[in-house]
Order: sequence, then structure tokens, then C-alpha cells
Amino acid sequence: MLPIEVSHLVVAYRRWFKPPFCAVDDLSFVVREGEIVGFLGANGAGKTSTIKTLMGFQPPTAGTARIFGMDATDARARQLVGFLPETALYSPYLTPYETLRLYGELHGLRGRQLKAQIEALLEAVNLSHKAHTLNKNLSKGMLQRVGIAQALLGDPKLLILDEVSSGLDPIGKRELRDLLSTQRARGATIFFSSHELAEVASICDRILIIHRGRLIAEHWLSDLTGRVESLEDYFIRTVQAGRDILHEEASAA
Amino acid sequence: MTRTLQITRALVTAGLLETLRRKDLYVVLILTLLLTLGASAFRVFGVQGLEIFVKDVALTAIGVMTTVLTVLIAARQIPEEMQRRTIYPLMARPITRGQLLLGKWATATMTASLCFVILALTTLGLLLTLGIGVKPIFVQYVLLKLLGIGWLCAMVIALSLYMTPAANVTLSLILAFGSGLFGRLLLMAHWEHDLSALWLNLLYGVLPHYDYFDMSKKVVFDWDLAPWWVLGAMAGYAVLNGGAWLLMGWLRFRKQTIG
Repeated sequence: MLPIEVSHLVVAYRRWFKPPFCAVDDLSFVVREGEIVGFLGANGAGKTSTIKTLMGFQPPTAGTARIFGMDATDARARQLVGFLPETALYSPYLTPYETLRLYGELHGLRGRQLKAQIEALLEAVNLSHKAHTLNKNLSKGMLQRVGIAQALLGDPKLLILDEVSSGLDPIGKRELRDLLSTQRARGATIFFSSHELAEVASICDRILIIHRGRLIAEHWLSDLTGRVESLEDYFIRTVQAGRDILHEEASAA
Repeated sequence: MTRTLQITRALVTAGLLETLRRKDLYVVLILTLLLTLGASAFRVFGVQGLEIFVKDVALTAIGVMTTVLTVLIAARQIPEEMQRRTIYPLMARPITRGQLLLGKWATATMTASLCFVILALTTLGLLLTLGIGVKPIFVQYVLLKLLGIGWLCAMVIALSLYMTPAANVTLSLILAFGSGLFGRLLLMAHWEHDLSALWLNLLYGVLPHYDYFDMSKKVVFDWDLAPWWVLGAMAGYAVLNGGAWLLMGWLRFRKQTIG
């Protein structure tokens, strides 16, 4: 069963007195088990809309999004998924330990198993010393670590991370890379969007580039090595080319 | 069912911790006690027969504060999760939107009920210290208020899915405090404009009635216990009408784009 299977996905937002805005337009791709896939695109390309649809936050206008063969809107599909949103301000009146306990219990974990997981995850994200400090007294980077820890609760088989490294300092980014490598070593599939192309180049097996909701490039990073100067140059050239093609299509229409 | 209970318990525990760490409850508690003490201070001037007046002030303060707190607590349950974006990690768990809605309703109800019980018991303690007693009907007053809190939370949470938090709080407070006036307004409309009694009765039935859950005046005037079937009937009203509000909220929430 494929961890992610997106087929002819369309996500359109209705607007008052205007035609609907199409954030994702006929998007199709798959992510196979054990892969680390970077989902790239300029701001407003449709990355977050796609991820929202994969997580069941946004019903698709057309097409399908499936997680391990189940429809993304089915709550059971999320049993095997860990998700880290772009920015989340975890309750200021709870501590990291209580925050993780809440999400763990919602995930179906309980008792000693949950306690052990929380302690291990707080240790892994270097937050053990702040486990019982209220979230409102934590820095942005520390809150992001709480987020990473909550995403890893329940040993998910698929990790979906949206702008994962935002708010992290260089040490935090290094630790995150190590953590993702550990997750990969235990067989997890990772799908993440990021603007940090150096990071993408160092972690990913494959990249997908979208522009205005359409998939404009899909590559194994190993294929690009030696062929392009840097991932950044390649990304900018690809997005520019995509822009030109879409512009020509619009002119022809 | 067990899963839904587990989800509800997790949300309620976190909600209670949050409420106890916020300052709202303590501010309300201090205000209520100050109002009651202020009312009893008339004794200094030799005013006799103050018991009814002090009880009235105390119970009115409890009623007003509880209603405001309940509306504020319920109104922030889902919108605050959306605003903080914590709705994402919450809904990223294997829980349905119906389970989340139910869990949030239970959180608001339990939290507001806890606040009310603390307020009521502390004020009762103060009244007894001042030498002012209450009759056993106080127990019925507390039970009916708890039912009212559950019902009010259902209404406010449902409305929070249809409008902005500010609009929701305003409308909910108008509906909660104004519900006692609906009957009188409709009667006036009947007398002044000769409107059809059938339609007015229908309208009266459809409008929300938080006033049904208030027995404070009976406590103030030391009434005997009300028949228990009345409380049973009110429980039925709370379950049916509150359930209808939650259903209305779920119909909106199940297809709503999150964020």
C-alpha cells in the first residue's frame, strides 16, 4: 500500500462574486514506502493546500488523495501519520509534557507506554529540562521542538512536515536532520515541504516541484547530482520555466 | 464509544488545566465575594431584614458571572484552536470532527461547571459565615444551573462555527440574558399588534430559553423543594435542545475547511 497517492487532485476555493481560486490543479503523484520526498514550490504554489487535503483538513474539489490506501478524509488514515504544521502556537497554559500527553491520548496511547514515549521524545528533541515549564515561557524554537515531538508520537509510518525547519536555530536544524535520519532508519516515509533547499538536498531522495498547483518537475536527487550547479539554481530555473509555460497557455487560451 | 470517551477525557483534562491556570476564574470569584460582602455591609447602618437582599445580590452575581464565564469558555473552544493553529495537530490525530466537537462541548461544560460550583460553594460559605442560611432548594438550584451550563455550552459552540468569535459572544450573551424577556416581548406583540397566538407560541418555543434553568429567586425567597419531575423535564429539554444545537454545529463543522 502506498503511503501517499494523489490522483488528479483539484482544490478550489470559492470566492464571493469571483470565479473560484484554484490552488491545486490536476495534481498527481505518489510517495513510496521508505522514501524522503521534498515538496517544493514558491509561495502560493499550492503546497499547503495539498498537505491540508492529505491530512483531511480540506475536502478535495475533484480527484482523490489517499493515505495507505484509505481516503484522506477518513480519520483512521491518520493512525499511521505524524504531522507537523508550519506554525502552531501550542497552548500557552500547558507544559510540553502535558501537550504531548494530550496528543498522545488523542492518538490512542495510554499509561506507561505513553509516559515512556513522551520522555524519550522530549529527550530526543532536547527538551527534557523544560518538560514542566509552561509553553508560554518557551522560545519559538523550543515550541517548534514540541511540535516535532508531537509529530513523532505513536511511531508514525508516514511523517508529513510543513515548513519543518522554520524557527529552528542552526543547531536545531542539525538535530532535526539527525532526527529525520533516525526516523528513516526505522523505516518511516517522510514527505515534507520546505524553502530551505540546502536542507532538502541533504535529506531527500526525491523532489517534487509545483507551481500554481501543477506538478512541473519530479526528480531523484541522485539524477540531478552533477547535472545542475545547485538545487537552488535548478529550482529557480524550473519555476521560471513553469511560469513561462503557464503564461503561454493563458495567452493561447 | 470507549475511544470517544478517551478523546473526551484527554480534551477535558487539558481544558481544565488551562482554565485553572488562566486568571478569569479568580477575578470572577473575587468580584462575586466582594459584591456579596458589599451588600451585607448595609448592616453597619442598622438596616434590618437584609437576608433576602444579600442572598439576591449573591445569587444574581453568581448567575451573571457564571453566564459570562460559560459563554467566554465555550466561545473560545474551537475558534482559539483555529487561531493558534493547534487545530492542525489536533485533527491530525485519528479522531473524527464529531468526536472533536463532542470533546470540546464536554470540556466547556465541565470547565464552566467547575467554575460555577466553586463560585456557588464559596458564596454559600460566605453567606453562612454572615449568618444567612439557605433552604434545601439550593441543591436544586445548583443542579438546574449545571444543566443550563451544558445547554448554553452546546448553543455557544454551535454558533462559534457559524460566526466570528466577537459576534458569537455578543449574540450568545444577548440570547442568554435576554431569554427571560422573550415571553414578555411576544405577549406585548400579541396585545399591541394583535399577532396570531399560534405563531407567537411557535416562535416562543423555537427561541432559546436559558431562563428556564434559573431558580435563584426561589432560593432567595426560601421556597420549598420543587417537584423532582420538573428537574427531570428540564434535563429532557437540555438534552434535546442542546443535542439539536450540537447537531447544527456538526452539520457545519463536518465539511468545513480547517484553517
